[in-house]
Amino acid sequence: MPFREKSAWISLLSISLIYGVYFWSVVHAGPHAGFHFGSLLATVIALIVVQIVLHIVIAIAAPKDAKAPRDEREKLIELKASRFAYSGLATAIALACFFGALDPPIVFNTNALLFVLVTVELMRTSCQIIQYRRGA
Amino acid sequence: MTGVAIRNEIRRLRFEHGEMTQQDLADKIGVTRQTVNAIEQGKYSPSLEAAFRIAAVFDTPLEGVFHYSKD
Repeated sequence: MPFREKSAWISLLSISLIYGVYFWSVVHAGPHAGFHFGSLLATVIALIVVQIVLHIVIAIAAPKDAKAPRDEREKLIELKASRFAYSGLATAIALACFFGALDPPIVFNTNALLFVLVTVELMRTSCQIIQYRRGA
Repeated sequence: MTGVAIRNEIRRLRFEHGEMTQQDLADKIGVTRQTVNAIEQGKYSPSLEAAFRIAAVFDTPLEGVFHYSKD
């Protein structure tokens, strides 16, 4: 498995698990709970630490692959994945504008925006992995 | 429906050049082994620059490596 595909798997799994726990706690807290900045900060720090550690591990396992710049196919895969994720982002922003008109509480807006960011990133990494698996 | 395909002779050429591995070819043209594999299997069409690099490695003209055909 190439280094970039492993990197995409690390992003997909770490984001799913760590942000999954965060959003699970948000949903359980209920719609009227306040915004817990500390919880979000802990989530972001945990994500950064986990990703750095796992990327160091895979770079040590294959140092030559890790140092090599992206080739043309890998760049194309990233571009296709970004284009796919952009369509999700555009859709989500259109929906946010619609629901924003309903005047939801600020805590809902903040978490909804964060959910959009996480979902778009998951779309991007998933698309990358699918293309790597297909060999495209 | 009419389709087009770019076929290649990379596998045969690798064999004829001292059973060169995909990794050896990848290192010579500056891509990953997975990209060479994708090109060889016809799953990815390389850029013109990469195609010329491949042809240069095998010291053959471009049409000696890649064939464009209508199905």
